Amino acid sequence: MIRLDSLGVRLVDRRRGDRRWVLKDVSLCVPTGCIYGLVGPGAAGKSVLLKTVVGLLEVEEGLVALDAIDVGQAAPLELELLRRRIGMAFQNNALFDDLTVADNIAFPLRRLFSPSDDEVREKVKERLDCVTLSGFQDRMPAGLSGGQKKRVAFARATITRPPFLILDEPAAGLDPVSSQRLFDLIKRDVTASGSTCLAVSSDLDRLLPICDRVGVLVNGQLLFDGTVAEARNAADPRVYQFINGLPDGPL
Amino acid sequence: MGSPLETPQPLVLHERPLVKLGRVALDAVSGVRALVSLFLRTLWFTFRGSRPKGATALQAFEIGNRSAPFLALTMAFIGMILVYQSAVQLGRIVPDYSMVGANYAELLVRELGPTIGGLMLATRVGAGMAAETASMVVTEQVDALRLCAADPVDFLVVPRFLASLVMTVVVIVLCSGLAYATGALTALVAFDVRLDVFVNLSLVDFGDVATGLTKSLAYGAAIPICSCHCGLAAEGGSAGVGRATTAAVVLSSLAIIVINFFISASAFLVGL
Repeated sequence: MIRLDSLGVRLVDRRRGDRRWVLKDVSLCVPTGCIYGLVGPGAAGKSVLLKTVVGLLEVEEGLVALDAIDVGQAAPLELELLRRRIGMAFQNNALFDDLTVADNIAFPLRRLFSPSDDEVREKVKERLDCVTLSGFQDRMPAGLSGGQKKRVAFARATITRPPFLILDEPAAGLDPVSSQRLFDLIKRDVTASGSTCLAVSSDLDRLLPICDRVGVLVNGQLLFDGTVAEARNAADPRVYQFINGLPDGPL
Repeated sequence: MGSPLETPQPLVLHERPLVKLGRVALDAVSGVRALVSLFLRTLWFTFRGSRPKGATALQAFEIGNRSAPFLALTMAFIGMILVYQSAVQLGRIVPDYSMVGANYAELLVRELGPTIGGLMLATRVGAGMAAETASMVVTEQVDALRLCAADPVDFLVVPRFLASLVMTVVVIVLCSGLAYATGALTALVAFDVRLDVFVNLSLVDFGDVATGLTKSLAYGAAIPICSCHCGLAAEGGSAGVGRATTAAVVLSSLAIIVINFFISASAFLVGL
């Protein structure tokens, strides 16, 4: 379970030279095994929220808990142990330029679990097959298309079969067919592994059908937290406009 | 807590001079603190880290082999210019060129070789290191490292630090030799100073060699620390990478000049 309680995060605004609230008073709960879609307009704080959940950004106020562990208060060793249970696909893919596809996918496995070479090879092959990139293990990230990079990033995030899966724009910039295939893959994989998934995407048409719950974040505030059906008929005009993709409205 | 998000305050464009000065001073202090902290963490991970095998060798190739042609060419021309200018100036006072080579050797070993070489390396290697690390920051590769319990200092800074420490000394020694050789040729061609007269190391003593090597070693440590510090602090896409690269060259060059002053002063005080 992922639980956020009155979360507040401030980041340095370089232009103004001070720290500004990017998230304030955000509370939500992602039950175990649930796919939670976090959506909202640009610069709403979605990526900041994901990075705070995995402990990459400091919790200024409130609580972020993964199962019973308070991420904000975790000691370095505790955080390291917690990260063995997290897989994350980043918005920019974050593939290591100087490593092959196989080494990129195997990186979290090698770093966090020190398995044997045979075990690494076997798991990398299984993940490559899963994302339909068999035979790509020796390619470098620079030689991959946008969709292939996204799939490698997903394979890397899931190679350790983490209980918590965090996906930041997993299909950004992909054509509709590749995007649909990737979301189908996410649904299949998360259902099979029983992971708790928190996913951010601007592609609502493809994200919402695979979600159990959805949250709408606007200007650092969580305006809505509920099921997809509830979101489509939300009373808040901003949520209603955003979820239904209407051009006219308060947003 | 009040309202969830405060209304943005108007941007202050004109600060009072004292406020601005104070801000600059505070930024400088925190910058120095960050540099010292990065240096100490680099030393810690040098002995305790678990970086991938071969990373240091790869960086050594990048810093040493790839910089050598640029540095050699620069030092070769600087050697020719310096000897020519020195001999011209000397000729106006005493037309005796027999000690040009000896004085040039001392100056090259103690000061010019390490410092000019260090400055050249700062521009080539420093910019490269900063651009590489800054790109990794803005494309979230550094976040991905941290999420895999791989400390960016251990993975990115330590290999560059170790490689730079060794290769800066090697490249500077070799290129200083080349600068001496081109100086000797210039003296021969332009002023008829025979090679056996020019090659005179009588003025080069232990203090000169120790000071020169200490400077080379210190520059080798300063360049990766300054450059990686700027790279790791980058933010905001390609513009951020550009700013980090510029800052790295400026900071590394400044560090070399400041370190040069302190090592020269220390050497003078201890009688070297």
